[in-house]
Amino acid sequence: MKKIIILGLGLLFIGASCTKVDNYPGPDSAFQGNIIDSVTGKNMLTETGGINIMLKQLSWSDNPDPYYIPSKPDGTFEDTRIFSGHYSVIPTQGPFWPADSIVTDIKGATTHNFTVVPYLEITNFTHVQAGDSLVMTCQLSAPRTVGLPQILEVWPFVNNTPFVGSGAYISQLTISDHNSPSYNLADINSTWNGGIATTTYKVVVHGLLNGRTYYARVGVRVNDSYKKYNLSEVAQVVMPPEK
Amino acid sequence: MKKIKYISLILAIIIVGSCHKLDVPPLNIISESQVFSTANGVQAYIANMYTFLPMEDFVYEPDKGFLTGDGGRWQNFYQMDAIDGEMAGPYGGTGDAAQGFGLWPYDRIRNINILIYDLPKYASNYTADQVNEWLGEAYFCRAYTYFALVKRYGGVPIVRTVIDPAASAASLLVPRNTEEDVYNFIGSDLDSAYSLMWEPGSGGHPAIQQGAASKYAAMAYKSRVMLFAGSIAKYGAVNYVDGDARAKGFAGGMPAGDATKFFQAAYDAAKLVEGHFSLYTGGYPDKVQNYVDLFLKPNNEQIFIRQYSLSDPQRNNDNSGPHSYDATMTCRYMTADGLSRTYPSMDYAERFGALPIVNSDGTPVRFSDRADLMTALEPRLQATIYFPGATLRGLTFDVQRGTYKTFNGSAAQELSNNLNTPNDDPSNLLFASDPNQLYQNHRIVGLAGWNPSTGDDNTRTGLYLRKYVDYAKAQSACGLYQSAQSYIDMRYGEVLLNRAEAAFELGASLQADALSAINQLRDRAGAAPATVSMTIDTIRNERCKELGFEHQYWWDIRRWRTADQVLDNRKLYALLPYYVATENKYIFLKQVEPFQRTYTFQKKWYYEPLPGGELSKNPNLFPNNPGY
Repeated sequence: MKKIIILGLGLLFIGASCTKVDNYPGPDSAFQGNIIDSVTGKNMLTETGGINIMLKQLSWSDNPDPYYIPSKPDGTFEDTRIFSGHYSVIPTQGPFWPADSIVTDIKGATTHNFTVVPYLEITNFTHVQAGDSLVMTCQLSAPRTVGLPQILEVWPFVNNTPFVGSGAYISQLTISDHNSPSYNLADINSTWNGGIATTTYKVVVHGLLNGRTYYARVGVRVNDSYKKYNLSEVAQVVMPPEK
Repeated sequence: MKKIKYISLILAIIIVGSCHKLDVPPLNIISESQVFSTANGVQAYIANMYTFLPMEDFVYEPDKGFLTGDGGRWQNFYQMDAIDGEMAGPYGGTGDAAQGFGLWPYDRIRNINILIYDLPKYASNYTADQVNEWLGEAYFCRAYTYFALVKRYGGVPIVRTVIDPAASAASLLVPRNTEEDVYNFIGSDLDSAYSLMWEPGSGGHPAIQQGAASKYAAMAYKSRVMLFAGSIAKYGAVNYVDGDARAKGFAGGMPAGDATKFFQAAYDAAKLVEGHFSLYTGGYPDKVQNYVDLFLKPNNEQIFIRQYSLSDPQRNNDNSGPHSYDATMTCRYMTADGLSRTYPSMDYAERFGALPIVNSDGTPVRFSDRADLMTALEPRLQATIYFPGATLRGLTFDVQRGTYKTFNGSAAQELSNNLNTPNDDPSNLLFASDPNQLYQNHRIVGLAGWNPSTGDDNTRTGLYLRKYVDYAKAQSACGLYQSAQSYIDMRYGEVLLNRAEAAFELGASLQADALSAINQLRDRAGAAPATVSMTIDTIRNERCKELGFEHQYWWDIRRWRTADQVLDNRKLYALLPYYVATENKYIFLKQVEPFQRTYTFQKKWYYEPLPGGELSKNPNLFPNNPGY
C-alpha cells in the first residue's frame, strides 16, 4: 500500500515536471482608432464589420497570417488583446478606394486613425413615413469618378434596433429578388455619369407595424472585390400607437 | 569443469548465431517488387488509387471533404447543391462551406507517381499494352487529382516525380506553379492517358470495366477541365479580386486570349468521345421512366462511375462501403431510418419555365388532385423531382403547407414577404404541428410535409429529389448504409453540354454543332428543340437543367464568375400546396421557403484559401489567394 502511494506521488512529480513555462508575453497591447471619411472629415458611416482593419505581425514571421479587426457601427475600431510587435496595417474590405498600408509598432495602448476615400457619398438623405410605408430618398456623389467600379443599386435597410445595415435588417422589408413584384431596391447598374449625380433615388419600404420604433438607412454599393455598402445616417422612425 | 564446458558451448552457439545478418526483407511490409511484379499486385494498387480519387460523390461534403472515415458518412444531405441555391438544405448559407476543407492530396499524388516511375522496371513481366493501360490509368488519376486542386486553389505545386523525403529542404519546399501551368499539365496528362490506353473492346482488349477509366474517359474529363480553364480565362479577366496571387498568375490573371485555346481543346476532346458512348434511351417510349433509370441502371451513357458495395467489410468506413442516399433524400414516411434535410428549390423547377399555378387573372389555379400539376411538365423535370402528389413505394407525397378555410383574391398578395394579407389571418389560415390534426375531416398539413414541429425533416420547398432515388427498393431496405447505386461522375450528357458550350464560345462557325448537341439532349428529355436563336444562356440553362443535383452547378457558377450575382442576398422559393376547405381544392403558392435563409457568395471565394497548415510548412506557397 505504502509502495503504491510512493509510486503515485513519484508519477505526480514526473508529470508535473512536464509543464513548460510559456515565457512569451501575452496579448497585452491594444490597437484602436477611427476610420475617417476623406470628404466629410468625420468617421465613416458604416456598420459592424462594414470595414476590416487587417494586421500582419511582421516581427512574428515573414509570412504572417492576417488578423482582422472589424469596424464598429460608429466608424471606430478597437482590439484590446493584441500582441506587442511590429505590424503592417491596412484598412480593407470596405466601400472605399484601396488604401495604403502603414508599418507601425504596437505596444501598450496604440492609436492610429486611417483616412480613406469612399467610393460614394450619400447626400440629402430624407425619410417620410406614411401609413405602413417608409419613403427614403437620397442623392449620390463620388469623390473620384475615374475608374470607379460599376454602381449597382441603392438598398433600403430597416431594423428594430439602432444596429441597422446590410448585416442587420428585417429581410421581409427589403426585397432584393428582381423577379419579385415586391422588389424595392433602386437599380443603377451603371458606371458613373452626370445623370447619377443629379438623380434623386427613392426607395419605399412597405409593411411597417404600428406601435413600433424602427431604424432605417439606405446603402449603395459598387461592383468591386468586396461589394460593401456606403451607408447613410440612421433615421429613427416612430410609428403611431397600435389601434 | 563441466560448467565451463556448458557455458562455452552456449556462448559458442550465441556467437555463431550472431553471424547471421539481420538485413532481410521485413515480413510486415509489402515491397515494391512484390506489388509491381504480379498483375494482382498492380491491380490492387490501382484500385486503391481509384478509391481515393477526390470525387464529389454521394458522401462528399463541401466543408468536410471526401468522407472515407466513419461519422457523418451517412448524412448525404450535406451536399454541395445545398449551398449554391439548387437546394434548400441544412447549411445556413453559402459561407458555411464556400471555403472548402483544406484539400491537399499530395500523399495520393505521390502514390500515383510511384506507379508511374516504378512500374516500367517490371515491364518485362507483362505485355506492353498492359503496361501502357496501367500507366494510362495512373495519368488519368493524377490529372483528376490535380483538377480537384486547381479548381479550388488556382495554381498549386506540380510534383511529377517521387521526391526523396531525405532530400534537401530546397527540393522539398516545392513552390506554386501558375494556374495556367497546372491546366496545361493536366491537359498533357490526359493526353498521355488517351494515347497510352488501349481501344476498349477491340483488338482482343476487354471492354471498359465499370468503375475504371478508359481512354475515352480521359477525353471526357479533358473536355470538362479545358472548359473550366477557358471559362475562368475569359470571365475571370473581368470579375476578380485583386492581389499578389493574381498578379503572379496563381489565382486568376490568365490572359483572356488563352480562353480560345482552352475552349478549342475542350471541343476537340469532347468530339473524340463521340461514337463511344450514347445517351440512354433504354426506357423509351416512357421518357420519364427512361430518365429515372438513367441514374439507376448500368448503361452506355455512363463514362466514369464510383461503385459501392453492401458487403464491404468496412461498411461505414471507406469509400466503397454503401451510402445512404435513399434514406436521406426522402422523408422518414417513405424510408426505414434516418431523415431528409435537403430539398430542390422551386427556382430549379422554374428553369423549365414558369409553373402553371396562376390563372391569367392572377388567382391561383384550383387543383382537384395535387398530382395534376406535374403531368403537364417536361418529362425530364418530372424525373428529376418528386412533385406534390407523386408516389414512391406505394406512398403519396401528400405535401401540404396548411389549410385555408376560404381563399379569395390573387396569388401574388399571399407572398410570404407581404405582411398583413387578407387571407393570411390565424382564423382563416390553419397550420398544424401534427399531420393527424384534422379540419373538417381533412388533414391540415401533409404526412410528407411541411410540418414545422419536425424542423427540416420533411420538405421545406414542397419538393423532393427524385434523381438517383431507387424507387424499386422496398421501404424496409431504405435504411442508413443500405444504398449501393453507383455515383455517375461523368456521363455522355455532360460531354455533349461541354461540347455545345465550348463550340458556342468559339464562335459562329460551330453554332450548328452546338445546336445539334443541345437538341440531342432536349429530345431525350422530352422537351421542345432549341432554335438557331439560341444564346449562351440557353446552353447554360440547359446544362443546369440536365445536370441538376449532380454537384456541377457550384463549379459552373464559379467558372462563369456569376456566383456573386446569382447568390447575392438570395432567398430560395418553395412551391407550397395549400388545401382550400370551402372549395375542396388545392392551390399552389410560390413563397420564400419557410426558413428564409439567405445565400451570398463573396467574390474572394472564387478561390479557396490555401490550407493554413501547408502554408506554415512551405513558405514557397505564398502569397495566399487574394482576400485571405
